Amino acid sequence: MHLALSQFPTAARGAGDPLPSGRLDEDLMPRVAVALPSLILAAVAAIQMVLSLTMGLSPWKGGGFGMFASTDGLPFRDVRVFVSAPARSEEVLIPPSLARAAAAAVTFPRPQALETLARGIADRERRYGRDVETVRVEVSRTVFSPTLEVTRAPLRTLTVHVDPAAPASAAAPVR
Amino acid sequence: MSIPLPLRPPLRLFADALDERLPLRVTLVLLLIRPPEDPYVRGGIWLLAAAGLIVPALATRAWLWAGAAVLMLARLAVEFPLADNHLYLLFYWCLAIALALVTPAPGDILARSARWLVAATFTCAVLWKALLAPDFLDGRFFRVTLLTDDRFATAARAVGQLTDAQLTDDREALRPLDGGIEVLDGPVLVEPAPLRALGVGLTWGGALLEALLALAFLAPVRRVPAAVRHALLLVFCAVTYAIAPVGGFGWLLAAIGMAQAGGSPRWRAAYAAACVLILVYAETPAVSWLIGLAAP
Repeated sequence: MHLALSQFPTAARGAGDPLPSGRLDEDLMPRVAVALPSLILAAVAAIQMVLSLTMGLSPWKGGGFGMFASTDGLPFRDVRVFVSAPARSEEVLIPPSLARAAAAAVTFPRPQALETLARGIADRERRYGRDVETVRVEVSRTVFSPTLEVTRAPLRTLTVHVDPAAPASAAAPVR
Repeated sequence: MSIPLPLRPPLRLFADALDERLPLRVTLVLLLIRPPEDPYVRGGIWLLAAAGLIVPALATRAWLWAGAAVLMLARLAVEFPLADNHLYLLFYWCLAIALALVTPAPGDILARSARWLVAATFTCAVLWKALLAPDFLDGRFFRVTLLTDDRFATAARAVGQLTDAQLTDDREALRPLDGGIEVLDGPVLVEPAPLRALGVGLTWGGALLEALLALAFLAPVRRVPAAVRHALLLVFCAVTYAIAPVGGFGWLLAAIGMAQAGGSPRWRAAYAAACVLILVYAETPAVSWLIGLAAP
């Protein structure tokens, strides 16, 4: 037995409704209601699979339901940031304020995400009065062989050149 | 109110709660308990979900669920690419409820929509495990996870017969080093036979269960009894979320399963029990205790 009609208020059609009451209208809405959510799911999942296979999106994210299917999850991805200037060249830790940008870069290492992180690091270095000319962001993942030998594989590296005379956030990526 | 037969005495206490609107209420609770970061989206979702719970008549208004779907979509957009997969399913489910509520037979439509959502979800999961991920079917995923994930440490020790020292050494052995560095006399990976068997069992057991679910929900309804679909989904909820720390996903699958129960309060009761079980898994050490008891 299914829900009685009286238990759910349905869309009322007023007088002079422009839609002709006919079989097409009566059949179409229920079909759309049944199919649309699953079709959208399938489309988003297909896009996620393509992005994962071609652009490094983590299988665990993006709506493709690939979690618990691969070791290529966030615990085995890493992002490192290196800052260079005439008197320095060093790796810097990612501050809590940029944790989200770092997580986004690790999860989906597209150029824009790495650039956002690099720009944030550059701005922060300059706010603290530290010289910065280039910021290099490296995203990599851990790969396990069938015998569980461990290697690191780069996913994407982006270097951003910072113009010292320009205001903050004026950083041009060098791809 | 009259008590629908043939509920047995203990279930009569919950008769009122096991109505056809239960999946909607569970979904409203889900919207409340995993709030988004963005304050505007969070406020909107809380407002709608609270309204639906406090004023039960609002829970069957299409506009409430359409609003929830829009806000969930906003949440996915704001949090991309970090949003968990169950949030995507929650968006699809809110949309399904909204659409069903504007049809002449919302219960039937929602049940059918729910079936297709489950079918699509598990089909995607099977595609990933069987075809797209190169390290699942050969057991690598669970071999690594058993050794590196704290949530599996109890099972790795108890069932896999790994000592604490071996677990620590194995985690060190699986830690990647930079630039091709190799440690001289570094830790050697130790995988006792029971541990490898556990990994193989989890791999193929999980894959098989998800494949059965995909097939059962994709198949025409006349070919697979509803009881089989419900049983498979309940087993999945009961087993998976003892290990996977995504209780929200389990609750969501239970809500979607409830919507397919039709006129059967017993199946809704079973899904409600699954929700309680998932809560026990998440909030108590029951799983660790049971694994410790069951270990040879």
